[in-house]
Amino acid sequence: MIIVSEDEDEGDSNPFLFLGQPVHDSVLNINHDYRYLRMGYYVSAHAETFGVDVTPNCTEIMDAYRNPLLIEKARRHGLRTNNYRLITSARSEIDAPAVLFAVNPFTNNSMKVVDSGSKLPGMIKRMSMGARFPVSLHPLTGEVLEIIQIFGESTNEETSEFAKKFYKIFNIPICKLIVQIDDGGVLLNHCEPALKKEVKWDIVHDKVRKIKQSV
Amino acid sequence: MKIACFVEAYNFIVKSERSALMKFKSTAETMGHEFEFIYKNDISKIAEYDALFIRATTDPSSSAYIVSRLAEQSGLKVIDDPHSIRTCSNKAILHDLFYKNNIPSPKSILFHGDYSRETLDSIFITLGLPVIIKTPYTRFSSHVEKASDETQFIEISKHLLRKAKVLVLQEYVQSDFDWRVGILRNEIIYLCKYCIPDGGWKVRSKINGRNVWGDTIALSRDSISPGLKELSIKLSKCVGNGLYGLDVKEINDEYKVIEINDNPSIYDGYEDTVDGDIYEKIINALVS
Repeated sequence: MIIVSEDEDEGDSNPFLFLGQPVHDSVLNINHDYRYLRMGYYVSAHAETFGVDVTPNCTEIMDAYRNPLLIEKARRHGLRTNNYRLITSARSEIDAPAVLFAVNPFTNNSMKVVDSGSKLPGMIKRMSMGARFPVSLHPLTGEVLEIIQIFGESTNEETSEFAKKFYKIFNIPICKLIVQIDDGGVLLNHCEPALKKEVKWDIVHDKVRKIKQSV
Repeated sequence: MKIACFVEAYNFIVKSERSALMKFKSTAETMGHEFEFIYKNDISKIAEYDALFIRATTDPSSSAYIVSRLAEQSGLKVIDDPHSIRTCSNKAILHDLFYKNNIPSPKSILFHGDYSRETLDSIFITLGLPVIIKTPYTRFSSHVEKASDETQFIEISKHLLRKAKVLVLQEYVQSDFDWRVGILRNEIIYLCKYCIPDGGWKVRSKINGRNVWGDTIALSRDSISPGLKELSIKLSKCVGNGLYGLDVKEINDEYKVIEINDNPSIYDGYEDTVDGDIYEKIINALVS
């Protein structure tokens, strides 16, 4: 297995070197950002094109980072979500409070919490870029939390079981999850790249060392 | 069968595209199927259909990718499927695909912005001048530039790298036209020449400040040369089993693939002029 990591202390190869070479072995791709057109994505795409197994693969990346795909996959695998809706314009039956995420190619870190119904139309108009792209709307029913998930571990103890399940389903080594915590437990709302400085690299090093030992 | 055709409002602006969409609808209905245009507001209803045909522009960042993936997961027949979208939409991935599968294509290099003397020399020795510079997400000849010398190369590539992590640098191959080979389920369904307009160097060129498209000349698919046919099917099989448009240059009886596209243009009076049964063939692929 080849470890391709943006962290120089960690990998057998860095993303730039890796992309210039043919691939003959399975790949573990470690990056804080796997978004489409980012280096983390290209590493997985390069490995996949050469026909080797890669973690995460491009389908897994896209399933995690595009909000409707994330929620549908979570539902199919029994991970708790709430009744999200895709909308491009505000309609009367849409209620606040709600948590909104842009589903467009440009925005990261797009979460908006809207308490008042009167603010929804303006917010949806802005986030949909004038109805050009959908907005994913989730009812606000609990406390909103941002957690960093690293190989199934969470930066927040309350969500450690949830992070384990998430990693098992989605196979994304590092990401930020936006969840709500209510009386029923943890609800998944969104997944996006972690900032590099948010990642606990000592956990990553430890996990990678164990993976290397096991292969 | 109930077919959803995913479109956006812009698909109905140009008359020949609008007319082609209506031909798809009438062909499907004549064959006894329902054919409904759906938009991004209808994405969550996709499981109500038996098949999905995407005509809106595809890209992994677009709503079209979401509908494609949701449809695939719901067990619908899908054109364009998510794998084809991911592969064909990205020229850096196509660069790898051509290399891995020995597909003849212009020499090309991935470039991340290393402007050291050694790298620049290596680029110009390998590719020569002029050199073509493409962003991975180029479509309809946009974000494709030609640099005649090193100064221009540095200026253009730095500009394009502001939005792209990687660029594809390619040897310039001059020609009067590109072959466009339409393929469905690894069979040729139409053949065209996409001509380069006078005074330009790509199918859509900027000439005197205006974007000008070259002519489209349709030919019988049966007239395709054995070499071009073999190459086209070989490449199509490397991607999948969908609907593709290959762009190929012919130089001295040899073929070099420029790219393979999912979601190829099908306009009434253009690609369908000679082989008019492409509508029927595509509907058949969706329902069989």
